[in-house]
Amino acid sequence: MSGLQPLPSPAAVVKKPARRCAEVCLEFLCAESVRLFHEKQSGPAAAAALEAVGFRVGQQLAERYTRDKSRLGDTLEIIKFVCKEFWQALFKKQVDNLKTNHRGVYVLQDNGFRWLQRLSVPAAGSDPAREEAARQVALSYLHLPCGVVRGALCHLGVSCTVEADPKHLPSCTFTVRILA
Amino acid sequence: KISLDKEYSCSLNNSRSKTKLQMSAPTLTFVIVGQEDHPIYEVDLTGPKEQQTQYLHQFVLHSSLDAVDEQMWLSKEPHLKVVDRFNGLNVTAFVTAGNTRFLLLHDGRSDDSIRSFFTEVYELYLRVLLNPFHTPTTRITSREFDRKVKLLAKRLLG
Repeated sequence: MSGLQPLPSPAAVVKKPARRCAEVCLEFLCAESVRLFHEKQSGPAAAAALEAVGFRVGQQLAERYTRDKSRLGDTLEIIKFVCKEFWQALFKKQVDNLKTNHRGVYVLQDNGFRWLQRLSVPAAGSDPAREEAARQVALSYLHLPCGVVRGALCHLGVSCTVEADPKHLPSCTFTVRILA
Repeated sequence: KISLDKEYSCSLNNSRSKTKLQMSAPTLTFVIVGQEDHPIYEVDLTGPKEQQTQYLHQFVLHSSLDAVDEQMWLSKEPHLKVVDRFNGLNVTAFVTAGNTRFLLLHDGRSDDSIRSFFTEVYELYLRVLLNPFHTPTTRITSREFDRKVKLLAKRLLG
């Protein structure tokens, strides 16, 4: 996210510089929330809880980032908005590759997913078991961004499911399946 | 006897709006309709009214949602001009990207002032939405929001 900036107040006479927050705070928050939900004994499963949190955040962010835009038409335009402006605002870059099978499945590929940058990656060509373990750890960190993407899409009118696949860390693909 | 009185006041209202006497109270009702077509906020900006007028306003606003949908298919602009008319009352609409509709029932205010009113209320609405304690599909019960909307209406819509 581009820092935690409050919306400018319409009645401000003197323009105060927007307040900013270090990005590392967001990274710590994400990591800690994953750990918290995994260690909770009661309540819903960690994956579901993180996805739900991400869903709410995604809805709010979608409303906020479409503020001065005209309404988006069909599903493809909404997905393109998510790939470009939404991703840019959230992860400081755009999605690198977008593929579709024109039948309701879209694959968003991000080489260098920002929220996974801090995850240590086993050296390429090393023990496949270690790579698998790293993949599992990465998956647990991906529930939150999947929820954010799903929340944004659902708020804009595209009812769907989002799955993430960390093939080669830190690059990651998100598969969006439109629910008919 | 009571029912006779109600009929009398209802017909009086209708005749008043048909002849557009300036003595009749100005109409200005604002409604925010959520994604699932339920109202999440309604306010009568010119002060409380009697029950018949309130029902009439509600009915006109909700039946204009179909007209808003039609206009939405025609244009991509968030500001839609007057979408529906009834008996001298107009309904102007504003549609956000998340399919939330702002509807204003008025009796012929200037389009520019309504536009600026909608833009400012949109900012207030965004802040309410960003509140993590507010669910997007429930009613907006914040008194601050209510107070600010009324202030804005007084300032921009007279």
